[in-house]
Amino acid sequence: MNAKRTEKRLERKNDELMERSGNFENPFETKGKFSKYARVPIYLLTVVMIAPYYWMITSSFKSVKELQKVPPTLIPEKWIPGNYWDPNYDPNMYQQDIMQGLFQRFTKVQFGFGRFFLNSFFITTTITILTLLIGSLAAYVVAKHRFKAKRAIYLVIIGSMMIPWQVGLIPGFLLVDDLGWLNTFWAYIIPALPKAFIVFFLVQYLSSIPDELIEAARIDGAREWTIYFRIVLPLLKPAMIAMMIFTAIGEWNNFLWPLIITQSQDMANLPVALALLKNSGAGNIGTQGVIMAAALLVSMPTIILYFLTQRHFIRGIALSGIK
Amino acid sequence: MAIKQIAPELSYTPTKKKGFYKFSDSGIASYLMLAPFVLLFLVWAVYPVLSSLRLSFMRYNAICDEALSPCGSVGFGNYTYLILQDSRFHKALFNTSLYVIGAVTLGLLASLSLSLALQADTRANRVLRVIFFLPSVTSGIAVVLVWGWVFRGDDIGLLNSLLSTFGVAPVEWLATPSLAIPILIFMSIWGGAGFGMVLFLAGLNAIPAMYYEAAVIDGANRRDRFRYITLPLLKPVMVYVVITGTIGAFQIFEGVYLLFPTSVGSIGGLKDMALMIVPYLYDMGFNRFRLGYASAVAWILFAIIFTISLINIRVTKSLEDLR
Repeated sequence: MNAKRTEKRLERKNDELMERSGNFENPFETKGKFSKYARVPIYLLTVVMIAPYYWMITSSFKSVKELQKVPPTLIPEKWIPGNYWDPNYDPNMYQQDIMQGLFQRFTKVQFGFGRFFLNSFFITTTITILTLLIGSLAAYVVAKHRFKAKRAIYLVIIGSMMIPWQVGLIPGFLLVDDLGWLNTFWAYIIPALPKAFIVFFLVQYLSSIPDELIEAARIDGAREWTIYFRIVLPLLKPAMIAMMIFTAIGEWNNFLWPLIITQSQDMANLPVALALLKNSGAGNIGTQGVIMAAALLVSMPTIILYFLTQRHFIRGIALSGIK
Repeated sequence: MAIKQIAPELSYTPTKKKGFYKFSDSGIASYLMLAPFVLLFLVWAVYPVLSSLRLSFMRYNAICDEALSPCGSVGFGNYTYLILQDSRFHKALFNTSLYVIGAVTLGLLASLSLSLALQADTRANRVLRVIFFLPSVTSGIAVVLVWGWVFRGDDIGLLNSLLSTFGVAPVEWLATPSLAIPILIFMSIWGGAGFGMVLFLAGLNAIPAMYYEAAVIDGANRRDRFRYITLPLLKPVMVYVVITGTIGAFQIFEGVYLLFPTSVGSIGGLKDMALMIVPYLYDMGFNRFRLGYASAVAWILFAIIFTISLINIRVTKSLEDLR
């Protein structure tokens, strides 16, 4: 109960902080002559921001013939699903105007393009859950236990954040190779688990929570694991949600490491599959529609996640950046 | 004495700590909670970094055959060759520096102006903020593929077909050396300005409105308020945006990998016009399997990022002391 109240209080405090503002208008100041047009550049920029998304969506529904038009059509003359799935497609014969849709490619891979979705989904969820679990456990010990050498351990963890991750890229690859993990989910998941930033962030967050809450539970005879699950985890919820979203989006979009450890198509995640798709039909205008369809499908999940969790998301960035 | 008689359990007598409690007040639970993270961290973060340091002083390839491709220590050989003789690496360094300077300064300006333009909490601004932030959650590969189409060299390329309506001949955007870096900078700003904007908005909202009210009473106009209240109070955010932006920009990979391939399975585009540090590392490590050499590249990357972060912090510190 107590924990819940503290959480509410922290949340309210955060919201208050957000409402206070450097956004101040002097009601007595007269506005300039051109202030009517001051917003025009912003709207022009908005068009530039949206254009790539608009293009992804519309051109994924265009026929090959329409894709080749110069100048291109802004709105598809005819909306067709062929870039995703063309019902008339027959692998044994070539016909004009009939396309090989996205889900009709990658025929050697089980489930075709859907396989990459399954891969990405499995990898992302597993990493997100495990990395937060072990990260929050470690953060709890570092922040709230009296523990010899914990300062030294924490320093090493924070210090590692200064080293660009590419430094460990090659030995990481060799290690994965030695373990025989190349082209397996192990190589995706295990090396991605220890994330220093999550520990750092959660320790920061925990240190703003009064020790008395935990002390009180200890005096009442609660064991450490009980304290972690019943008190610490609920208190950490806002921070954990923010970290969860960051981790999930980061892993979903991860490219360089998956590129190195995958050797056969069926182990690719979505970004690697996109690159494969691009390289398979490099300059061919016919595949552009298919590529756009794939790009759209790959971007949708993270965008939806962002829309669903916007509040937590923005607060998470603010918390991690301004401390 | 009195207390001891009334309530003997309250009196404090130091006891000798035993077993796990010698190191932690919470006993074995501390170890169990810390162990998963620390073990994984040692294997997948600490070991790779140390190992890559060792590799960087070696000639090393995955085969290590005495006759064909021997491995062994070369002392500082990798570093001296990289710094003194490797003209491709020099090109990569030069390109990356140009890119970082452009992307960070223009990105800083863009995100600061965006946050100022969109800080009022109106419905329209909330929508615009979401739109400007979208690229931060979109798969980098997906976005790069759309840009690939925009900057296509033939007349089907979107920019070219737009230009052709004004009677301009098609431009080979991705095959003109002088355009490579500007295009990558543009992509970086498009993708990153929204993130900086969110950080700046959080910073702006943390400025108490009363500062502005006091300033207005003292007769400060709009520009003074910005110069003497907003800017100084935003400085911590600015430092954060610059440092994280610089670190991120040095690690550019995806755009170069997908938009500037070269025919021989190498990276960097025509005449290495878009070759950068991390793509070069990838090229050395995973196209040519010169793993020791690539590790040395990684450590130079670390040295650069580390120095720049230090300089950044020092400069802002000393500027503060001046005041």
